[in-house]
Amino acid sequence: MSTLSALAHVQAMESMQAVPLTEFRHRHLSGRPLVIVPLAMAGEAGAPLAAMVGSAKRNGTLLVVAQPRNRDQRFAFAADLGRIVMDYIDSFRQDRRGEGERSRYTEAPQILVPNPGGVKALADLGRMCRFRATSGPYAVPDVVPEFGMWLTFLVDWAEQAGTSMLLPVTEMLTEHWATGQSTLEDQNLASLMAWISPPSSLSVEQAMADAENPDVCPPAGPSTSPEFDNRDLAPAIRRFDTARTLGDPHALAAAEAELRELIAGQIQPTWRMVWQAISLLRSVPEAPRTAKRFEGDCKAFTDYSDYRDSGGLPQRKRDTAIGAARRLGRLERALAEFESDMAFDDRFVLADRRSAGEAFDGTVVKAEPGRTVTTDKNRRVPRPRVTVRTEDPVRLAADTKLISPSLPTGHKATIVSVLSDRDVTQITLEITGGMGRGRVPKQGTVPEPGQRIAYLPDPGWRPAPQFPASDATPWTHSAAGAAGTDPAVPEDAAAEEWGNED
Amino acid sequence: MKKTVDDRLAALRGSAKRLDYNARSLAALENNPRCTLRALLDASGSDKTAIATHVGHPPSFGQSSFAITRGNAFEAMVKDNGCAELLRVLRETLHLTLPEVGYEDLNDVGGDGRSKERHERTEEVLLRAARGEGDGTLFDHPMLRLLIGGHKAYLEPDLVALRIDGRFHIVEIKSFPIIDEQADSTQVRAATTQACAYIIALRDLLGRAGIGEQAVSDTIVLVAPKDFTNRPTGAFVDARKQVAALTRQLSRIERIGDLVDLLPEDLTFDLAPDAEDRPRRPAEELTEALDRVLVTYRPDCLNHCEMAFYCRSRARAEASLDVLGPVVREQFGGIDTTTMVMGLARGELTPSEDQVEMAAALRHAARLRAELEDLGGAA
Ligand code: SF4
Repeated sequence: MSTLSALAHVQAMESMQAVPLTEFRHRHLSGRPLVIVPLAMAGEAGAPLAAMVGSAKRNGTLLVVAQPRNRDQRFAFAADLGRIVMDYIDSFRQDRRGEGERSRYTEAPQILVPNPGGVKALADLGRMCRFRATSGPYAVPDVVPEFGMWLTFLVDWAEQAGTSMLLPVTEMLTEHWATGQSTLEDQNLASLMAWISPPSSLSVEQAMADAENPDVCPPAGPSTSPEFDNRDLAPAIRRFDTARTLGDPHALAAAEAELRELIAGQIQPTWRMVWQAISLLRSVPEAPRTAKRFEGDCKAFTDYSDYRDSGGLPQRKRDTAIGAARRLGRLERALAEFESDMAFDDRFVLADRRSAGEAFDGTVVKAEPGRTVTTDKNRRVPRPRVTVRTEDPVRLAADTKLISPSLPTGHKATIVSVLSDRDVTQITLEITGGMGRGRVPKQGTVPEPGQRIAYLPDPGWRPAPQFPASDATPWTHSAAGAAGTDPAVPEDAAAEEWGNED
Repeated sequence: MKKTVDDRLAALRGSAKRLDYNARSLAALENNPRCTLRALLDASGSDKTAIATHVGHPPSFGQSSFAITRGNAFEAMVKDNGCAELLRVLRETLHLTLPEVGYEDLNDVGGDGRSKERHERTEEVLLRAARGEGDGTLFDHPMLRLLIGGHKAYLEPDLVALRIDGRFHIVEIKSFPIIDEQADSTQVRAATTQACAYIIALRDLLGRAGIGEQAVSDTIVLVAPKDFTNRPTGAFVDARKQVAALTRQLSRIERIGDLVDLLPEDLTFDLAPDAEDRPRRPAEELTEALDRVLVTYRPDCLNHCEMAFYCRSRARAEASLDVLGPVVREQFGGIDTTTMVMGLARGELTPSEDQVEMAAALRHAARLRAELEDLGGAA
């Protein structure tokens, strides 16, 4: 964290008001996101209890598992939720543009959950569903494994910085706003919203207190509050079980209705709050480079979609060594690019990097626009030098490659020397790119004395590391091996039992 | 005459019954070892929940009955039929060679469930086993004892001490899942820390009979549900580091006298309960007493300590940077409050010698911030 970001949190705490950390929203926000609020039963291994799902505030569908320990009911739930999510995903598998290799869908789905726990819940659900067999002793509906594979794909993709197909809204909010509370408390959606947009009649302090009171703000999941579990949910589930054992249809219907109502009371406040957060985020203008990054989402979506269409295998349980290394490389590159994109687009983020000494902004005090050098190939090329005077606490060393948001794209420079004297630093740069092809730099590509200019490190184009080609599907790490053996599917796929059988 | 440390601790607790350490409170030591208030409340056996509640900051550590039921059911299943499932995991998953297995339930002392008797029985049986007598392999419900700050704390693990190749191993049965051979790291850590208390207590028990500490392994056997099933699987967890850490914390408790010496003579956390156990002490007075003791609040306390809401509200009232957590705090090494940060940032305070550099960075950040806001920031 930079001094500037830390200061923003201090300012927020002092003024009891959230402080913006960015000028723009750097995440793509779909015009039609699918919100899922998942709830799980405490103590069980990712046992779904309920979910509210829908792509508009007004038409959320509430799905409830009356007895989460019952295997059949869990799968009925997975199938119901799966159908809704797959319908949503399929609605983006319509318009394709481009030919052959470059053909891809023009839009991509976006699933929003309340908090990081929501992503974890979907990851568990994906793991539970993707290996299920659709025939044999423990057969599940076709949609279940399909849904499981898609969830796993979305969860994996979400690990990559700057992507937008699956996001917790708490993360989108904290990227843009600093609060006067800790990261831990920021993961509570209600606490976070208390700082950013408290209910109109309440102060931030009151809203924060309410946010931690489960009777006023039920937790945003996936766990429900223990008080609710013990006081309301456990007796209601017991009544449901009794009615089922007795085979009494009226009592069963009544018990189910009661459960639904109880759970609706817990889930609806979060549902509304997620949509409120979405409309807040919409009011923040989208950063220019976000659209470009979104194309990466569309490409990944298209590729996975085609992979599924060709009957691809479910993602394996654990990465292979090659898969893991490839993935790590991809994540690192994406993070560096995302950070640089943000700084390029957003003067708040640039200021943040400046505060951390990773970027600088200053005035050109000296320029040698006509300087040239002779290359190895005996060609004379322009290599102008300029000296920039800055008061930023620069921590960059000589030979660092730089890019600049203040000059036409393609501009590149390398640090020749850094001279610091108290609060002032003089940085001499050699301009190496973005000047056109001629011997004389094109107009406007070399900064002039007196000009204000900012630089930050070039994340650079790094070649993707080479790995053996056997594992050619980077997003799944599935060894769709030619031999036809399939280590990704466990032998006990169909028989793997669930929870306590009733 | 100067009062003894024990007298002082008793006076801190006041008239309430002494609460002893248990595996959970010992485990919590690891989370905030430097906190004076916590050390005093625990060492004096004060009821933290009651105290926090009385000063208007009740803790919220409710446990869902679903989690409890699930935990109990899983444990019972693993231990059923003389630990049949447990043995299967030990043999099949962990590839341990267990020839003949003798199972002994130490809970069973002829209907006498008192801690002392049960402990004596545990002691007797485990010592015999350690000396290679008897054919016990699995010992269920041992009652262990630790001397902490001169007080006996009985620890009653829901676990089994397993004896293989002449060494005891602690087996922890937990109901969080191990999915694709990976379990949630926070939960594993919590389970390990608890098991450490048992390792130390077991070593202590054997040590009193002159048996060296290598007789108890510091590798724990974790048994938990596999994937999404009810079937158990197992894993070895290396607890060396945590055993060392907990040993260090415990030795600190032995030196609690140093902390007590720094306290005002008349300080007490007494709730002065009436016959119905309702506190009669005015809440403001109790708050004042708490306020006189140093705390080292951090947001993580919210997950571990009963006093967390009190400490947070105190940190907020003091405008302490502790409220924001270590990530922000680290940026301002040596500065404690938001007032100080803002004062330096605005150039209204003169930095001390070791704050000069920080103050310059802050003024720079404040200048950047002002520039951004001048140009009309977002939202
Ligand atoms: S909550 Fe307070 S008493 Fe408890 S450990 Fe944290 S600072 Fe210490």
